Amino acid sequence: MVWSWIPANLGLIGQLTRQNAYIGIVSAVAGLVIAVPLGIASARWRWLYPPVLSAADVIYALPSLALFVVLIAYTGLSDTTVIIPLTLFSLVVILPNVVDGLRSVPGDVRQAATAMGFGPLRRLAQVELPLAVPVIIAGMRVATVSSISLVSVGQLIGIGGLGYLFTDGLDRDFPTEIYVGLILIIVLALACDLLLVLARRLLTPWQRDGQSGGDAAARLASPAVQAEPPPRAGQAPLHRSAP
Amino acid sequence: MIIFEQVTKRYPGGTVAVDDLSLEVPDGKIMILVGPSGCGKTTTLRMVNRLVEPTAGRILLDGRDVAQAQPAALRRGIGYVIQQSGLFPHRTVEDNIATVPLLNGWRRARARARARELMELVGLDAALAGRYPQQLSGGQQQRVGVARALAADPPVLLMDEPFSAVDPIVRSSLQDELIRLQAGLRKTVVMVTHDVEEAIKVGDLVAVYRPGGHLAQVDTPERLLAFPADDYVESFIGFDRGIRRLSFFPARGLELDLEAVLGEQTTVAEAQQAANRAGQPWILVIDSERKPLGWAATAQLELLPEEGALSGVPLTGYGHTFRPDADSLRAALDATVLSRTGRAIGVDEQGRVLGVTSFDRLRTAIHAADEAAPEEAAADGRPAPAEMQA
Repeated sequence: MVWSWIPANLGLIGQLTRQNAYIGIVSAVAGLVIAVPLGIASARWRWLYPPVLSAADVIYALPSLALFVVLIAYTGLSDTTVIIPLTLFSLVVILPNVVDGLRSVPGDVRQAATAMGFGPLRRLAQVELPLAVPVIIAGMRVATVSSISLVSVGQLIGIGGLGYLFTDGLDRDFPTEIYVGLILIIVLALACDLLLVLARRLLTPWQRDGQSGGDAAARLASPAVQAEPPPRAGQAPLHRSAP
Repeated sequence: MIIFEQVTKRYPGGTVAVDDLSLEVPDGKIMILVGPSGCGKTTTLRMVNRLVEPTAGRILLDGRDVAQAQPAALRRGIGYVIQQSGLFPHRTVEDNIATVPLLNGWRRARARARARELMELVGLDAALAGRYPQQLSGGQQQRVGVARALAADPPVLLMDEPFSAVDPIVRSSLQDELIRLQAGLRKTVVMVTHDVEEAIKVGDLVAVYRPGGHLAQVDTPERLLAFPADDYVESFIGFDRGIRRLSFFPARGLELDLEAVLGEQTTVAEAQQAANRAGQPWILVIDSERKPLGWAATAQLELLPEEGALSGVPLTGYGHTFRPDADSLRAALDATVLSRTGRAIGVDEQGRVLGVTSFDRLRTAIHAADEAAPEEAAADGRPAPAEMQA
């Protein structure tokens, strides 16, 4: 490690980190924004889900490079060219969780909501989606972390965020640069993951195990217990490998 | 008033859940639908708030066909309680209870104030208001379920096996609570259960279903126990219906003996005389406040010094007592069966002995009550046994 390289290149490192974070987060969020309505539709009309899932799998199987090459013709060498494939990958990861999350709403709760006089839309917004949040966020965490690390693939077309440090370090036979890039990507991914865990805690206060709200502080001290998404069968995204 | 007019529900597979059902649920009464699994009782219930749509026939709620109502609006006017409480896990107790008021557009503060009122009504500690459902016991959850159903003060309440998921002790207390609530609220209640005991305890009227969605009998619990329509109903009610029916007869009419009840200061000689005069093998010894102390065997008195007081005599425990003013003949019979002397002690509110009864006295009282029962039922203007629907 050549430590002096780091302070000398803070400007570059900062700029690459920002780009990496920006592309990764925008892709994951865009993936979520598309996955939620698509997931709602798939959960509601069951026949829709198998074809949607197959299409998603095909997209997931596409090599990023091929997508870049196709997209360059339309979006040029811009961030968008990297964001679009990463959005699709995030979508594929999040979609099954949206569907599973909505399907995990207990039948008696759904029935009670209907019997109380919720219309279908209100029931979705006030009962089903809130209850699906933990599972959706579990998918969102996987999508965000993989998205942030996949940004570096964009370096193939020169838009790779911290990925630049890998290719440049390789070209110059300068490992320090590679280590810095690697560590920053991991830190960035973990930071985003932590934010999502916190978001989940805020959005799902009922999921705490304690007997009252008063011991929230005690639980915050041991986030590991709460950080894991609930173990669920068929949570395929967790087992997918990166494309 | 809820009226089912020749209602049939046939599912797409051809299964007939409810077959040509006609039934009237009078205002302010609890109608219990009871029967084996799959007999169509839950389907009947769900057709009232249109969770299930009938294939044929009409359901009138206060004279209006429910099929004409907008479903969500209809449902907000009908309370609904289900087995596993169906509470919203992501809402606190008070927000669960406030659900329908909020749907009706109440402000949150007002809806929550209403929720607090209901918590008090159903016997929930106000400290639970901010808890989530899974932090409550099964019995508490079910109370929240009832409070939620009552929140918008609907005239009609539908209950689908509301107490079947809790243990017997909690179930019994929830049933008592429902009876207490209903005495003040006078809702029109339709409740589904597979528990005949519950039906008889809670119901003003009981509709017994036969498999295949037919009604076997609709009647008051008393009449159901006394006059089951056929062998099916009789076997469904259970073999000990005769004894259970005694729950409906007050112990008030039971004759109580006082001749073999003596104070603890009585001498053995006097006690012997009294016992022989009455021809009683047992003497009940009481204290100066007339509280029971125990039984003295007449045969044993002969072996004791005549001048001694009954307080020095070894006594047989008296088990539990009954209250002629408050209990039923069933309680009196139970106390008699459990007593080692074959005699039960009737006491007043303060536990003071009113007298003693025996199997002979009970038999007389039961026969008298039995003879009087059918006429009494008719004279009270209770609904006559409904026509059977095939």
